[in-house]
Formats: sequence, structure tokens, C-alpha cells
Amino acid sequence: MIEVEHLTKHYPGVHAVRDVTFSVKTGEVVGFLGPNGAGKSTTMRILAGYISPTGGVVNIGGLDVTRDSLKIRRQLGYLPESCALYMDMRVKEYLRYRGQLKGIPGRHLKSRVERVMEQCGLLEVRRRSIGKLSKGFRQRVGIADALVHNPDLLILDEPTIGLDPNQIVHIRTLIQELAQDHTILLSTHILSEVEATCDRVIVLQQGEIVESARLDELESRWCKVSNVHVEARCVPEDLKTLCKRVEGLRDCNVVADGDWSIAELTFARGEDPRETLFQLIREKGWDLRELHREKRSLEEVFVNMTSGNRPMLPEEETAAALPETLEVSS
Amino acid sequence: MRVWLTLWKREVASIFFSPVAYILTTMFLAVMGVGFWSIASYRLTDGATIYEVLRGLYGGVAWFAVLMVIPVLTMRSFSDEKRSGTLEALLTAPVTDQEVVLAKFFGLLTVYVIMWLPTAAYILILNHLNDAQATVDTGALSGAYLGIMLIGSFFLSIGLFCSSLTENVIVSSISTFAIIGLIFLFGFLPEVSPIPALQTFARPFSPILHMLDFARGVVDTRPVVLYVSGTVFMLVATVSVLDSRRWRS
Repeated sequence: MIEVEHLTKHYPGVHAVRDVTFSVKTGEVVGFLGPNGAGKSTTMRILAGYISPTGGVVNIGGLDVTRDSLKIRRQLGYLPESCALYMDMRVKEYLRYRGQLKGIPGRHLKSRVERVMEQCGLLEVRRRSIGKLSKGFRQRVGIADALVHNPDLLILDEPTIGLDPNQIVHIRTLIQELAQDHTILLSTHILSEVEATCDRVIVLQQGEIVESARLDELESRWCKVSNVHVEARCVPEDLKTLCKRVEGLRDCNVVADGDWSIAELTFARGEDPRETLFQLIREKGWDLRELHREKRSLEEVFVNMTSGNRPMLPEEETAAALPETLEVSS
Repeated sequence: MRVWLTLWKREVASIFFSPVAYILTTMFLAVMGVGFWSIASYRLTDGATIYEVLRGLYGGVAWFAVLMVIPVLTMRSFSDEKRSGTLEALLTAPVTDQEVVLAKFFGLLTVYVIMWLPTAAYILILNHLNDAQATVDTGALSGAYLGIMLIGSFFLSIGLFCSSLTENVIVSSISTFAIIGLIFLFGFLPEVSPIPALQTFARPFSPILHMLDFARGVVDTRPVVLYVSGTVFMLVATVSVLDSRRWRS
């Protein structure tokens, strides 16, 4: 759907985007992640045909973004970062106007506008003037506008910025629904957003792509260790001794909780010792009330990536995995 | 064309949705009304002809109204959309920059024409006051309105251009006023310049003289070409300014 090759955008004295290459396949939901000023909005504006690239090739649906901008804009729904709307218009009136601009034939206009108002939960405010709506509703009007001509591709620039948690949940649910039959590229600097809605993430920093991967790959690439949490009914020292028998253990913390012992274990990246642990505990005949591997939050991954770290290479990992000191605290 | 009509309708509606249009029309009609009243009541009793009244009204008073109205009418066109960010939504819709500029221009022109419509009543009043003499010459009258529309278009396109340069409506209106004010003052050169060469040079470009001619029913093709090409030039310049967002910061 989207093919971007060596995309560059210079402003006087600033490289807003440098040599960015990525692609988005039809049906995918891809998140653009990065701190403010990373070049997310610039890239999206180029895709939407608002500004032109300094260099590189951008193809959307097989059309070149500088030559066939008008054709592309007909099959693309774009929500700008500012989500600016005409405050003097009413919701339905605005969507009708935008629908006409986007060339929806007169006989379909009414049903399309009704459909997107229903999809975006705008029916109750259809006659209200946009200037009097809350931020959450305005954002929905913006998304309805992007949807009104039923485009295959949606480009949403920070769709949940400035919304309260309830409104964020609404917009997210809406995006998840849309993801079923649209290709979506959305940008955000909120990480949980990507976790909630995207299949794949492209991380930008200072105009460059620092990572582009599926969410699960990302975790295993950027997390140096994996943590396992065990709670069993036994003496802490016994659990500690047992855990030490598991291969690849790097750190082990055991505390007592009444009859129970709670162990926080750290293993090398990619290790999954849950099965071994379960077998060992069963052999001992202890009661087990919890055994799980903690999922690294994307937050940690993000901090790792944008603080200039590199993903670990296999040889570095082996070196780091050697249990030099195994401090046991109780 | 359908897209263009949608844009044009939106422009006209956006002007009439704001109180500015009403305040402006009121001020405009007040200036024109007082001007008409003073010329008609004093000059006609002096034995001036109806042509002199028309010239005084459309060649004289109309200038104050035009110079006052146009900067305020045009200041919001692009500046407001730039400031609020709606320009991005507008220009990422499948419309060309040319369509947007033309729709905005003709939207402004429509409002400008609507503002002038009530002044047609003056003619009826003149005919009524003046039943002893001949009624108002339709040639002179159409000439006067043609001149007002031509010069108005040119000035509106200058206003639109200034508005595309800035997101500040004050800057936009003041720069429009400065430019059209200078063009107006330039019109006095043929009369006031002490240098004969400058007088000869400025004569074909004087909007004041053009307007006096138009109000007499003399429609010369040279000023018509001048204002039409001036308008086209300013509209092309506006499209270029809009297009510059693609490569500028």
C-alpha cells in the first residue's frame, strides 16, 4: 500500500526526515512512534500530499505522491495533527461539505454521512455546532471526515492527543474496528496506544528510523532479560536452591509471604524456563499459586531505543548472560 | 466544477456566518448613504446635472467605501485558515490549489457584489428627485458599476494575496490597506505631480481617472485589460504562495 524509499525532507538548518525507508502492506495497522519532533508529522504530511519531499520516492497504491497527488488523496483519509475543523459549522453540515469536496456522488452522500456518523458515535451531536463540542467529539468528527469517502488507507496523526482516558478508549475501540477493513498508519508518542492498536511499529528518532518490527519481535530484540515470577508454598531458601538449578539464571530474589515464597527470577533474553520450573516444583510436591513470565512493557523498550542504545547482538548477549555474580538475597 | 461550487458556497457562507460581514455592510452603506445624501441634496440644488451626481458618488465617495471594506473583507480568507490549521485539511482534500484560490476569490467577489446591490436604490431615488430632467442614463450607470467591479476585483485579489502571506489577520488587513491605498494615491499623480513627464506616465494607470471615466459611461478597453490582468496576476501569485508550503519551512 505504502512504499517509502530514501525519503528526505530538509528545512533550512534542519533535517526533519533523513533517508527513511519503510513499507506498509494492505490491511496492516502500523504505528509511527517517536518523541516529539522526530519527524512523524512531516512524514505523514508528505504521504497526504500537503508538503513535498526533498528527496526520495513515495508510492501509495502504486501512484507517486508528487505526480499523482490528487488521485492518491481521493483514496486516502488523513487526520491532521491539529485536527482543525470549521468551528462555525454543524457536525452533519461539515461532513456533507467534506464529502462533497472529496467527490462523493450526490446520491451516496447522505448515506455515507449517516454511516460515518454512526461509526464514530456522532449521531447524538449531528446538529451541534463543532465549536461547542468537547475535544473528544471534535477528534471523532476529524476521524469521520477522514473516513467519509470510504478510503482504503487511513493516515491518522496523533488521533488521541489531548483526550481524557475515557475518550482515548473510545477512539482506540474505533480504530480497532476500522482496522478490520482498512490499512492504517497512525502516529503517537503514547506507547500503550501502539500496544493496543498496532500490528507493527516504526520508531523514528531525529528523522531516522531506529526500529521497524512487529510488536513481539520488538520485545525480544530490545529486552536484554526476561523476568519470571514464581509463588510457591515452601521455605524461601528451598525455592532459591531450586531456582539455581535452572539453566540460564542470572538473578534471583526470594521473599517470604506468610507460608508462601515469592521469587523474582531474571533470565537471559529469550529464555523460557517456566516449564522446567513447573516440573521441578511438582517433583518437590509444593503448592504453586503463580508462575508467569512478565511481559516487558513497551515503555521500557521505547526508553531503550530512543536513548541511543542498539539492539543486542547475539555475541554480546552470550557475554552478558554469563552469571558472573549470583547474589541471593532473602 | 462541482467541487469548485462546494468550495465557493463554503466561502460565501463563512463570510456571512461571521458578524464581520454585517458590521462591514452596515458601515459601507452608511458611508455611501451619507455621501449620496450630501451630494444629492447640495449639488442638485446648485443646478448640477445628474451625471455630476453620479460621478461624485461613484468616482468619489465610492473610494472611501472600497478602501475601507476590502482589507477587512479579505483579511480572514487564508490567514484564518492558516492560523487555525484548517488549511491543512482543505489542501489535503482532493482539490487543487488553483480551485481553492479561485473559489475564495469568487466567494469574496460575490459578497462584494451583494454589498453593492442596495446602492441601486440611489438610482431610483435620483430618478424620483429629478423628474424634471432626464432620468439616469443606463450607459453611465452600467459603466460606473463595471468600474467598481473591475477595480474591486483587482483590490480583492491583492487582499487575498496578502492574506495568503500571513496567519495574522491584522498584518493581512493592514498590508492590504497599505497597498491599495498607495495605488489609490498614485491615481492623483496626473493631477498633482509638478513633473510633466510623470503626469503623462501616470495618466493611463490612474484608477481615480478610470473611475471618473467609467462613471461617465466611457468604457475604454485599456483599463479593463489593466484590471483583469492585474487580478489574474495577483491570483497566480496567490497560488504560488500557497504552493510554496511544499518546499518552504
